[in-house]
Amino acid sequence: MANKVVLDSASLQRALTRITYEILERNKGGQGLVLVGIKTRGEYLAHRIANRLEQLEKETIPVMAIDVTNYRDDVLAHGDHLGLDEKDSINIVDKNIVLVDDVLFTGRTIRAALDALIHIGRPKSISLAVLVDRGHRELPIRADFVGKNIPTAQNEKIQVSVEEIDGKDAVEIIH
Amino acid sequence: MQRHLILEDGTTFVGEGFGAPATTFGEIVFQTAMTGYQESITNPIYDGQMIVFAMPVVGADGIHAEAYESVKPTIRGMVVHDLAEISTNRQRRMSLDRFLKQNNIPGLCQVDTRQLIRHLRESGPQKATIVDYVDDHARDQLAATVLTKQQVQNTATPKAYANPGRGYHIVVIDFGLKHGILRMLGDYDSNVSVLPYTTSVEEVLTLDPDGIVLSSGPGDPNSLPESVFTLIRVLQTKAPMLGIGLGHELFAMANGATLNPLVAEYHGMNHPIQEIISQEIFYAMQGRGYVVDDQTVDRKKMFVTHRDLVDQSIQGLRHRDYPAFSVQFFPDGAPGPIEPNVIFADFFETVADYVEQYN
Amino acid sequence: MSNSTTKSKLNKILFLGAGPNDFGIQGENDAAIYQVLPELHGHGYHVFVVDDNPYSVALESVAATTFWEPLTVTNIKKIIKDHQIDAVAPLFGGHRALRLWNQILNEWHTDDGQIPRTLGLNPAVLRESADITQLNQLLIDAGLPVIQSKIAKSQTEVNELMRSLSLPLVVRANNPVQSNTRQIVERLDDLEQVVDEVKSQSLLDEVLISKAINGMKEVSLEVLRDYRGNCLQVGASEDMDPIGIHTADSLSVSPVLTIQDRFMEQMRSYAFQVADLLQIQGALHLQFAVSEVTGKIYIIKIAPYIDQMATRMALVTGYPMLLVAMYLSLGQAFEDIVLPHNFHPKTAMMEPMMDHIAVKLPVFPFGDLHASGVEVDRNLSSIQKSVGSTIGFGRTFIEALEKAIRAAHFNNRGFSPTYMEHISDDELIQQLIHPQDNRVLLFIEAIRRGYEVDELTELSHIDAFYFYQLKHLIALEQMVEAKIDDPNMLKQAKQAGLSDGLIARFWHSDFQSIRRLARQNDIQPTYKALEPSAGEFPENAHQYYATFETEDESTPLGKDSILVVGSGAFRLGESASGGYATTIILSELRRLQYHTVAMNNNSSDATLLPHISDKQYLEPLEISDVMAVVDKEQPQAIMVPGNRKKLIKVLEELGQRVLILPREKHLANGPENHKSEFSLNFFYDGVEVYPLIVGQHRAGEMRLLNQALDIKEDLNDLNLPSPGLYQIIWRADVNEWINQVEIPDLSHDTWLRPVSYGQVAYLSKAMGIHFLRLIVRAMLDELTPRDWEMLQMISKNPPHVQQWMTKALTNYQLHLQPSGPIDTTRFEMGVKVVNDE
Repeated sequence: MANKVVLDSASLQRALTRITYEILERNKGGQGLVLVGIKTRGEYLAHRIANRLEQLEKETIPVMAIDVTNYRDDVLAHGDHLGLDEKDSINIVDKNIVLVDDVLFTGRTIRAALDALIHIGRPKSISLAVLVDRGHRELPIRADFVGKNIPTAQNEKIQVSVEEIDGKDAVEIIH
Repeated sequence: MQRHLILEDGTTFVGEGFGAPATTFGEIVFQTAMTGYQESITNPIYDGQMIVFAMPVVGADGIHAEAYESVKPTIRGMVVHDLAEISTNRQRRMSLDRFLKQNNIPGLCQVDTRQLIRHLRESGPQKATIVDYVDDHARDQLAATVLTKQQVQNTATPKAYANPGRGYHIVVIDFGLKHGILRMLGDYDSNVSVLPYTTSVEEVLTLDPDGIVLSSGPGDPNSLPESVFTLIRVLQTKAPMLGIGLGHELFAMANGATLNPLVAEYHGMNHPIQEIISQEIFYAMQGRGYVVDDQTVDRKKMFVTHRDLVDQSIQGLRHRDYPAFSVQFFPDGAPGPIEPNVIFADFFETVADYVEQYN
Repeated sequence: MSNSTTKSKLNKILFLGAGPNDFGIQGENDAAIYQVLPELHGHGYHVFVVDDNPYSVALESVAATTFWEPLTVTNIKKIIKDHQIDAVAPLFGGHRALRLWNQILNEWHTDDGQIPRTLGLNPAVLRESADITQLNQLLIDAGLPVIQSKIAKSQTEVNELMRSLSLPLVVRANNPVQSNTRQIVERLDDLEQVVDEVKSQSLLDEVLISKAINGMKEVSLEVLRDYRGNCLQVGASEDMDPIGIHTADSLSVSPVLTIQDRFMEQMRSYAFQVADLLQIQGALHLQFAVSEVTGKIYIIKIAPYIDQMATRMALVTGYPMLLVAMYLSLGQAFEDIVLPHNFHPKTAMMEPMMDHIAVKLPVFPFGDLHASGVEVDRNLSSIQKSVGSTIGFGRTFIEALEKAIRAAHFNNRGFSPTYMEHISDDELIQQLIHPQDNRVLLFIEAIRRGYEVDELTELSHIDAFYFYQLKHLIALEQMVEAKIDDPNMLKQAKQAGLSDGLIARFWHSDFQSIRRLARQNDIQPTYKALEPSAGEFPENAHQYYATFETEDESTPLGKDSILVVGSGAFRLGESASGGYATTIILSELRRLQYHTVAMNNNSSDATLLPHISDKQYLEPLEISDVMAVVDKEQPQAIMVPGNRKKLIKVLEELGQRVLILPREKHLANGPENHKSEFSLNFFYDGVEVYPLIVGQHRAGEMRLLNQALDIKEDLNDLNLPSPGLYQIIWRADVNEWINQVEIPDLSHDTWLRPVSYGQVAYLSKAMGIHFLRLIVRAMLDELTPRDWEMLQMISKNPPHVQQWMTKALTNYQLHLQPSGPIDTTRFEMGVKVVNDE
């Protein structure tokens, strides 16, 4: 059966635009903002949001990437497993961090990212922006900025594609 | 019969009368859109104005039940080059000529409208009259005419009414609403309450809106009472807000900006509008005699979100602290491109977020 | 955010031409390429053009390196390799170039080297869009409204499909040999034959069957898209005739008059979605079927390339559509495009608005064929029968219509009020139901005989608006007839677009008297600028059309200008060569630094392009139209094609300096099958004759003989009217190609005629000498000593020409169903070059 497109390219763009405005609204501007994208697609989305912020605020917003693909609950030792190192700590201390991911599901990825961030430095605040919230949380984690809420069945799969690596922008449900 | 158009600056044009045979006065503006004459002449933003159409043949599509933008047109006159005769049928209930007669609106055709438009684009806004004879009496009458500044009062609803739906509760503050806005709100099945612009803050809040729309409308935004600005300043902190046309101008003023009148009003759909955040370009119907003064926009309070790339005018604003935004153009089309319909999608997403967060 | 594939440096760009003229290919692609070449050249690009059509003007552009060669995969690969081409622009060459480029990409081998970039469309999309079924599926998946069609390989499969489909049906070829093979089947009896016919035009031997949508309105939109996905609508036109008659064969009107805004906006939105889906960087033409009754809209054709709609919209809106399309294909965004200085700086990104009406009228070949004894099927259908078109501009529909009609016919012969008087009532009804070429005249006759508008609407599915307009026209004509010599009446008639000639017929007078009456009463045309902002902005306009209002915007160029009268619509015979001739002439005049004024009404030829003349009048070419422009501009000379005998006579009588470009009034028959026609071609500079070369013409092909000429007869005795290329013709029973021919006694059994424009184009390209430019120089006493030296040398040492001109295959059977063979030596549609190999 064919995939069902839940966000096409234009709606995906507009969702990112709305998230950007909401970030500015909540943060009272771009001061002290750092975007941290969760690899792989979250990083591209973080850059897109940063580009939007720049168009509006005419200032550059730093973007970092974090990789939790190798993350396991039992082995969390050093931040550098997650693609961060000591020098990144300067970038997050006393900053308002916005974590950016494509899909919010169980919450375990976010938790790993939070652990890693806190491990290397002490940000002023951390908030979470996701393109899609599909429900089925296993941890008490809530997104501050949501592109689209998409209620799903546990066995369904959400596929986010971004132009930069997938050649198109779309969010699809795969049955 | 032969009739005449006299402009305030003394210029006259001769043509053939159609519609109502009455004498009329109004401010004369031109528009360049090639479709949607019915939507234009029924749009309340033209209250008290006469429209010159650049499109040389007008009326070929008659009058349709589904293309009204208000129940009763309040334009003062219509100047065209060629009026088309049509037969009426199930789709086209009426000819343009009959429609104007029924609504007591005079029209003038067989005018060199291109010459008239080229004149108006240089001369700026002025009064005009359509009369049977050009004589001193007619000229004196025109000179003596004081055009009303009561356009909003003329077109906005004096009484609240509802357009029920099962979705979010949207309150529309009516400054001379066009149907396109209600149609779009209906597309989202929202539960709409249309309120007079004189409604008090408390009355609005009692209705517990999920979102607020400041409607488009006619006339000079400076002519509205201070209470309107207070209303906007309070409501923008309470629920997501969308301002359109005059609603956008009032939103800007409520937040400290001032407006400048344009040398020539712009009515058309051919200017590119850029959404600054995404750099995307789209086209939309515009109808404006004023523009938000760029210098007076408090950057600490508001973002400029959209610009017209032809004259660089501000086409959209957004509050930095609240989910409140506004557009100068018509996001509902009718007439005009439907690409900017997504403004309503954005509004409803914002409303959904707001409802999710606070309820 | 999409395929910005063109950011890296590219320098060498190859344009693929459209090939020979045919039904639906009238030279618009060539004109489009010709227009963008100088622009690219000016920006430092090295531009290349390949085409096989001798009538191409792009091949003679000084701004490009050009190749006049057969359009084959091998030839183009070789050009790419030899010249290290960075990028290929296939979209300007239309569907043929697109197909060819797709084929080249499919047959690209590693040893062919680096694949050049494709400008305007990415190769994967190109492949998809070349296949109708794949393209349809793409649209269906995106939720766009298309009519679903099914594939059948055999009659049996068709019969099976018939169980789920009902008549009428549309049958099309899957992957067709040529662009339009759509046929409509209304009776079951016809199905088998149509399927066979259509199947034979499919490269895959398959037909596509879908339900027919006859009776819906047909609307075309032209849009542009940049690499970032921003879209703009250039224009739209509506066909007077409903779906079922090929759009090229229908009268069509811009802007759209009878369709509500909400439907137009919906179609626009679909067009933008399709442009996005195909990730186009450039132009897209979409055809729609729309019904206001049911609210249904279908996308019925997608053309992601430059075609007649594109060049027509460029002309009727004044928007520099082709320049913009080119910049977009190079990867620029709308905001970044810098246009030549004569446009408003924001023009590229403003949607053009029209404050005039443009009516396109098809030109059919029936009359010409009838005169030669060949009858064809005149019933209009979904297969194109017209060979050309004209455009009339005005401020009302009727004015634009009248002007289009006059433009199509040069005179009012075909549009006389009594033209259809003798048709029987039965015949009238028959033709109302089965439309033919004389559509407008037939409706007028029907209205005269008392048909009601609503009856006609029902019979024809044409919007009532058009019948009301025709009723007005009839009423006006009757009033004109009744009020002889009434100046007010004259003014009204002129406002409705009637020519002096036609009014003279009504008043049993002559056009000179009408002119006099008009002058006495100050009834003069007012020329309106044709510019894309509908009066909103001052634009530095150069294009004008006449109407009768108050303000005249045209100021004369000055006393030293030259007016060039174009050749109007393409017709069977020499097709695009008329446009070729006027274009090259204008170009030469500009080179010689004359101020030039061009007059024409054909959007498919290059004559009206803004960069080759100082001013353009988009007008019919009847005597009254030309005279009005002459009155306005007071040119120092007027250049007129030699076949316009009456116009020439009138202009000369009025003391104008007329430069006559030699041209035969009637097309001559060529050689019969077993014969050869030989021509001794020579140049006449107004004083002396210079023999050039001998040509051999056998049915369907022409070659040049490599023989030195030693002419004994004194050719200077010939009485030649004006400088030009002429030829002396003789026929011989020669059944093969020869290298040498003995020149006979030229005073017996030979005849003299001007060399046809088509052959001038061939001789120029084959011999590498710009003959038309020489003719212009000769007429204006601008020939240089080098010119004379060269002319004297040619006959002694003629070039060894290895390029032959041969007729292209035109499927007359499909388009016209002629009663007998068509003399293709006279009525060729297109020609192409073949190389001596």
